[in-house]
Amino acid sequence: MNAHIRKLAAGLIVCYLVLFVQLNLLQVVKRPELASNPNNNRGVLRDFDKPRGPIVSADGVVVANSQPSADTKFKYQRTYPEGDLFANVTGYYTYGFGATKVEKKYSNVLAGNTGQQQLANITNIFSGQDNTGSVRLTMRADLQQVAKDALGDREGSVVVLDPKTGAVRAMWSYPTYDPNQVAVHDNTQAKNVLTFLNAAPGKPLLANAFQERYMPGSTFKIITTAIAIEAGAINFDSTWANETSFTPEQTTDPIENYNGHVCGGDLREVFRRSCNTPFARTAVLLGAETMVAGTKAWGIGDPIPFDLGGGAVSNFGEVSDFDNAIPKLAIRGFGQDDDSMVPLQMAMISATVANGGVSMKPYLVDATLDHQGRVLSQTKPSVWRTPITPQTAAMLNELMVGVVQNGTASCCLKLANGIQAAAKTGTAQLNAKGQQQRSHAWITAFAPAENPQYAVVVMLKGTTDEISAGTGGKLAGPIAKTILDFALAHPLG
Amino acid sequence: MQALSRRSTELGLIIMAGVITAAMYALASLGKNSIIPPVIVPFLIVMLGLLLVAHFATRKLARGADATLLPLAAMLHGIGYVMITRLNDHLAGLQTTWTFIAIAAYVGTLLVVQRVPDLARYKWTFFVLGAGLLLLPMVPGVGHSVGGARIWVRLGPINFQPGEFAKILLALFFAGYLYERRELIAASTWNLGPLRLPEPRHFMPIAVSWVFAVVVMVGQKDLGSSLLFFTLFVVMIWVATERATFLVIGFTLFGGAAYMAFRLFTHVQDRVHIWIDPWSQYQGKGYQIVQSMFAIGDGGIAGTGLGQGHPNLIPAVQNDFIFAAIAEEMGLIGATTVLIAFLLMVGAGLRIAMRAERPFEKLLAVGLTTLLGVQAFIIIGGVIRVVPLTGITLPFVSYGGSSLVANYVLLALLMRVSDSTSRRIGELPDDPTIAERYAAWQLRRTLSETTAS
Repeated sequence: MNAHIRKLAAGLIVCYLVLFVQLNLLQVVKRPELASNPNNNRGVLRDFDKPRGPIVSADGVVVANSQPSADTKFKYQRTYPEGDLFANVTGYYTYGFGATKVEKKYSNVLAGNTGQQQLANITNIFSGQDNTGSVRLTMRADLQQVAKDALGDREGSVVVLDPKTGAVRAMWSYPTYDPNQVAVHDNTQAKNVLTFLNAAPGKPLLANAFQERYMPGSTFKIITTAIAIEAGAINFDSTWANETSFTPEQTTDPIENYNGHVCGGDLREVFRRSCNTPFARTAVLLGAETMVAGTKAWGIGDPIPFDLGGGAVSNFGEVSDFDNAIPKLAIRGFGQDDDSMVPLQMAMISATVANGGVSMKPYLVDATLDHQGRVLSQTKPSVWRTPITPQTAAMLNELMVGVVQNGTASCCLKLANGIQAAAKTGTAQLNAKGQQQRSHAWITAFAPAENPQYAVVVMLKGTTDEISAGTGGKLAGPIAKTILDFALAHPLG
Repeated sequence: MQALSRRSTELGLIIMAGVITAAMYALASLGKNSIIPPVIVPFLIVMLGLLLVAHFATRKLARGADATLLPLAAMLHGIGYVMITRLNDHLAGLQTTWTFIAIAAYVGTLLVVQRVPDLARYKWTFFVLGAGLLLLPMVPGVGHSVGGARIWVRLGPINFQPGEFAKILLALFFAGYLYERRELIAASTWNLGPLRLPEPRHFMPIAVSWVFAVVVMVGQKDLGSSLLFFTLFVVMIWVATERATFLVIGFTLFGGAAYMAFRLFTHVQDRVHIWIDPWSQYQGKGYQIVQSMFAIGDGGIAGTGLGQGHPNLIPAVQNDFIFAAIAEEMGLIGATTVLIAFLLMVGAGLRIAMRAERPFEKLLAVGLTTLLGVQAFIIIGGVIRVVPLTGITLPFVSYGGSSLVANYVLLALLMRVSDSTSRRIGELPDDPTIAERYAAWQLRRTLSETTAS
């Protein structure tokens, strides 16, 4: 019988070998496949049972961290100590509804799941020691607070950039939300909050500063002027006749200046007074091909290369849009009709002028660090495009200084300590003739004009009569001043 | 001397198993609640105490037995106990009680069964008891179903799975029956064309076993026990007669019955469907097996760490799916450890069978080892989707009193066979048992009285 017992042993060994092979398949070969199965929430569960690294502002304020949880569902609770202040940047981190913004994009770093972190931590693989990473923002919490206070309860967005690097120093949108209410562990509660926020007017869950686009109004004249100067079509000696309106071919509907004013003069004058007809004429003069090519050189129509991603795309139009549509070209030449700009990109336009014609890629994550504070990745400023020459940039700088000195922003952008700002205002008319007046109020600016440190955009949505009755200079100007004054008086340590 | 040093080896290995269990217990508590359990020292003392009781009973009652079986069982038991504690505190308390009873059953079996050949005499008693226990859950009023399978019996306050004990009794019966008839069966010929088959009347036992297997499969909806029980018989008759015909016939018959069951019963179809494709039934019947796959995959090579996984996402994880919890929290390393422990036990059991000189002991050791090895294979294979899932326990590891007690009895019988062989081949003096000494004393007294008068 012993021979048969040996055969039995061999048979059982084969059975167990099959088990061993299958275990290897499941635990090694198919492990990633199983982990990525949409029904598998173990990864999320695991992340919720470990601490998650903090998100910290450039001035050292913790804007997201994890704390021991009060409930028994998970060991840690994600909290946002600054409430709504950084909601549009950090996003939220939930169990049942995923994550957004930095929490999503840098989730692996925060959870300690990047290969780099795990490799560095390989000696601790069996102990499961904390190896969470942290994210350091370029944004300043103090400046963000100033922007929030300055905008108040008016709907709109503020973006502050460092024109030399593209680093975002502040980015605020209102309305927004408190991510602490979304990150609750009670799924039903979180769902109710998200349902409410999704339906709420003003899209509080969207970072309007870079996830929405708005009609830019006269701020777009910077682009038209830049294209025309680059094309050699206009210069400081160019003049336009005084007129109240201009009627392009193919239409009988005249284009009027703001409030039907008589407007004209040389380039400096029409720019600082923000006449409409000269820029409408310039756009028509340049023609659709030059205008479209020019706007594309600025990156209008392309996704903004923002490190957070998920941004909206600005629009001017394609050449074909203007076939037999000269009036459209004329109107879009001064920022009306289907022109739309993402507030962040409008800030980048000021920053490009301020930076001698070089447009930097905007970013708000300065560095990612491991649990011991060692740098895992550091964002290096990089050039996105160079739409204009330094000479053109210098001319636009001078034109924008004119706007502040004795133009549409002269009321409101005189900075403290005699620092000279440069700006362009915009009042984007949303209503057709005869309808209730509705307009966005814009300003895009930078300062100091001779050595720019900050570029800023302020955009107030035309959702109220108060905003719609005002102008970009009068409404957005003071907000820009408050922000620039504070930023220039409080350099980042 | 070699036989004597076995007990020292066993003691060393048992202490190692105890230390491993205590370390795991502390780690699981640390992983789950971030504290070293305050009861760690009493825990260690009680656990080592129990294992030492088993060890010293073996030293006293089965001195020549194999040195590895008890420590391997202790380690599996320890791993299982730590996992149950980590999964459910309440069940841990009950499992502790069952541990005491199981160790008592082990010692009791060694004490009661001191001469293996005695067992062969009671083979028909074992058959009646075994068959009765196997069919008991189908008796109305006594048996009841849990989770679809009608394998439980409630007698007053006691709730148990008689199948766990029935399988041992049937192994005893098969060994007794086959050792008597094996030569007869092996020698008989029935020429059917080119084939040389055993005479038809020798197919009777296999037919009876098959009927039992079918009854268990259909009446109790217990595919696992049915397969285990039938495999036991086919393997034993194959080893006993050394005729492969029985393997072929046995598995053909079982395959046919399984196929018929698949065609006729939806619960069998469900089992097969969720085995082939659990993913499409994630929300329904496939949920448990899919969660098991996720858990095992999540474990990876080193595991999530004890107390740091989420095995409770698998329904009924402490019974049938405890292996998935081990694979999740202890990873490929821990799961492979369990596989190797079972394989070593199978190896030790079959070594005992090969060393045994008497056919009855040989067959008994083969039967008991087959039960252990095949039962572990069926349930682990079900959990990791190598075979369709059938609800049986993982010996020594799963939660459950019947299973734990029955497997310690099984272990004691293997130890007894092993010890018996050591004495027979002269490794140890064949000391008379207590019963024999008493009989001798009585005989002497009778003799002296006779002489005196």
